[in-house]
Amino acid sequence: MVHAAIAVALSVPLLVIVWSIVQPSTEVWQELWATRLPGMIRETAILLIMVLAGTLVLGTALAWLVTAYQFPGRRVLGWLLVTPLAIPGYVLGFVWLDALQEPLGARGVRSIWLCALVLTITLYPYVYLFARAAFREQSQRAVDVARSLGCSRAMAFWRVVLPMARPSLAAGVALVGMEVLTDIGTVRLFNVSTIADGVLRVWFGTGNRDAAAEFAVLLIAVAIVLIATERLARGRARFTQTGSRAGLHVEWLYGARAATASAIGWGAFTIAVALPVSRLIAWALEARRTDQTSTVSGDLGFHLISSLQVTVVATLACLGLGLILVAGLNRRRASGSLLARLATLGYTVPGPVVAIGVLVTLAAVDRLGWLPDGWLLVGSFVGLIYALVVRFLAVAYQGMEASITKVSPSVVASARTLGAGRFRVATRVELPLAGAGIIAASALVAMDMLKELPITLILRPFGIETLPIWVWQATSESLWVQAAVPSLAIVAVGMVLVAVLLWALERGAERVSREGRTPDQVLQGKGGHDRA
Amino acid sequence: MTPKKRPLILGTLLVGTLFLSACGPGDGAGSDTASVQADSVEAGDAGMITVYTGRHYGIEPVFAQFTADTGIEVRFTTGNDPELRERLIAEGANTPADVVMTADAANIELSADAGVLASVNSDILTETIPEELRSEANDWFALSQRARVIIASTERVENPPTTYADVGDPEWQGKLCLRPSTHPYTQSLVASIIVAEGEERATEIVQSWVDNDPLYIDSDTEIYKAVAEGECDVAIANTYYLGRLLTENPDFPVGIVWPEQDGRGTHINVSTAAVTANAPNPEGALALIEWLATDGQQQFANANFEYPVDPNVEPSEIVASFGQFTADLDAVRQLGGNQPAAVMVLSATGYE
Repeated sequence: MVHAAIAVALSVPLLVIVWSIVQPSTEVWQELWATRLPGMIRETAILLIMVLAGTLVLGTALAWLVTAYQFPGRRVLGWLLVTPLAIPGYVLGFVWLDALQEPLGARGVRSIWLCALVLTITLYPYVYLFARAAFREQSQRAVDVARSLGCSRAMAFWRVVLPMARPSLAAGVALVGMEVLTDIGTVRLFNVSTIADGVLRVWFGTGNRDAAAEFAVLLIAVAIVLIATERLARGRARFTQTGSRAGLHVEWLYGARAATASAIGWGAFTIAVALPVSRLIAWALEARRTDQTSTVSGDLGFHLISSLQVTVVATLACLGLGLILVAGLNRRRASGSLLARLATLGYTVPGPVVAIGVLVTLAAVDRLGWLPDGWLLVGSFVGLIYALVVRFLAVAYQGMEASITKVSPSVVASARTLGAGRFRVATRVELPLAGAGIIAASALVAMDMLKELPITLILRPFGIETLPIWVWQATSESLWVQAAVPSLAIVAVGMVLVAVLLWALERGAERVSREGRTPDQVLQGKGGHDRA
Repeated sequence: MTPKKRPLILGTLLVGTLFLSACGPGDGAGSDTASVQADSVEAGDAGMITVYTGRHYGIEPVFAQFTADTGIEVRFTTGNDPELRERLIAEGANTPADVVMTADAANIELSADAGVLASVNSDILTETIPEELRSEANDWFALSQRARVIIASTERVENPPTTYADVGDPEWQGKLCLRPSTHPYTQSLVASIIVAEGEERATEIVQSWVDNDPLYIDSDTEIYKAVAEGECDVAIANTYYLGRLLTENPDFPVGIVWPEQDGRGTHINVSTAAVTANAPNPEGALALIEWLATDGQQQFANANFEYPVDPNVEPSEIVASFGQFTADLDAVRQLGGNQPAAVMVLSATGYE
């Protein structure tokens, strides 16, 4: 009952959008098909392919580097390579746009190639995290068998290690695909005209909300194709490890090889994090000199508190609702799974579209006048949190689903046999066993909340002005210097979340050795893993 | 799991449950809005007003001055014009907004069409604001004008184009910068060409721009910089960005050409304000708009180097130095109605 209520409550705003295709705006579509639509589909496809390929290669290669080889600085590098997660794409975009303007020219810099590059370096950590977890999980035994059959170390990687990691890699890449499909801020900076951009083009250009909603449905369709492809790519593969869980043999690198390995890793970190952050710091110092370190709404502290309020409450909400949905999954598999899918549909829809769906829904509730006199959901803090949950619940849910459903049914059954009630089983058995995974999922969803712009912009209540809003106010006037302080603040909070994420993952890994469970369960779910 | 960790998990569950109950009708955060509404109703003509504004540059000192002058507090939220309009429409009778302000004419016209604006009777407004710069129904009023002009490098261009059509001359092949069609400024400019020359001719003109293979840059400031740095020689942009750039660097090497001076005049767009149809405090709303058109007129226009709508108010010194010009006033009211056609023209010609 509760699960169904949650699923319905969270999917109504999206059903409002989907409903629009019942009465299609044929004229708009004919016109679009004759003009822009083919180009939008083409640019979306090109961008998607480039970023998916880029993140797959970069993420996998870097994960392999820090898992299979030992060289000076490897441990630190292993952590630092996750940190690009803390930098929003729209921030990295304007920093690199400005930096490359001079060498490449204003025309050269606005290209789909650079857009793909920027998206690749912000999004590769998803693939990296999944790949690293998958590689760590593998045992040396399979590699040894391959070697004894005459494979070189390289051949063993291509024929054994990589195929076994395929399900995890597919999950990471699917996640990257969602982010690319729904991105608006970064593609606009580089004049790339994608379908998500088209939704806003139609909506803002013609004022035709229905046509825009139909466009959004097209996007949902593409996302579904992407998810289906991921399922296909993963196939029926279910790999389990047998025997010793010693992990892969780590090869020591010395001299030139060690230097090369370090250079690759540090190079990636420099481009994705060190250079952009140092540029932001330079701008922030200039902002301080010219007294541009606050907005009319308040100083840095005020905006930081706004952001933290939204991030913390929205994350806790996702956590609570996610747990309830997962619990439903454990009890009634088929209906629970369907309800969960419905409730997490928002992840495939761009922020502004979710915001409008929520706006229409909440306004309808307000008009019913069920709330006490004068209380409104639109423009309230609760309304904002609701919209954020609709958009991002998938991120929290998938991660928790993966870790909680892997708690062995026999353990739960034993606890029940010993007389523990359902609540007691949940709090004393299931949650403790899945704790690290839940914390990791929370850190990931908090990262999304921290960086979120379009929904907050449309639905924020008075008195809430988050850091991304400040960034938007400055960048919409091309005032990069003014945007530096809030951007750095986002990155700083993001780094704390990355630290929490890494801590949870390491804890998960430790737990494996104690309890014989695998570490990547913590992460696996984010991309929509089925339960094994 | 060690026993000491349990409270944390229980706490998490508890907070999650609490949140769920907060989603229900017992919503505490909504009371914020409620109390404000109650205040303004009790306070009658003074109290507080709420503004949704799509123009968010330099607006706050103006509001602060208004509060100092009248005692009416201003609470405002910023956003993109179309999104604020959607919010206003969705909220309907429940909206907390008294005033809506936009950065262009088409967006306010679309709000008027959606029936969320109120017609107001104000002698002050009809006397200060020229007829062409307010709607026929008096449901929106322009408060400042922004001229969209041809800009050219003072170092490399001797004979810049003097009409919008001239920008399509093959001479500027590969040397032209334009703002993408997603931006209302571009849409309004094309709408004004449609008003003056008809859709067919407008399509030809836009096509000639597109044939010049322009560089599209989604920021007027960046367009000015691109001209200064030699990325392009000629471009179309609003004047007030030059105001900002000249304050930073008086020798900025970009000049302005007033287009269409032998004909209809230079395309202007307007910053507007309107009282919402369901304003909780319509008196306060009108007070703000009247103040912005009179006592606050100079400050409002100067805050962003724009042109005042009241012909008796002087523009700022920098703006005055751009010179006198004839403005295409006749088109202003028709920009909104022609915006969909403009979007079609832009789309059909392959304008980015």
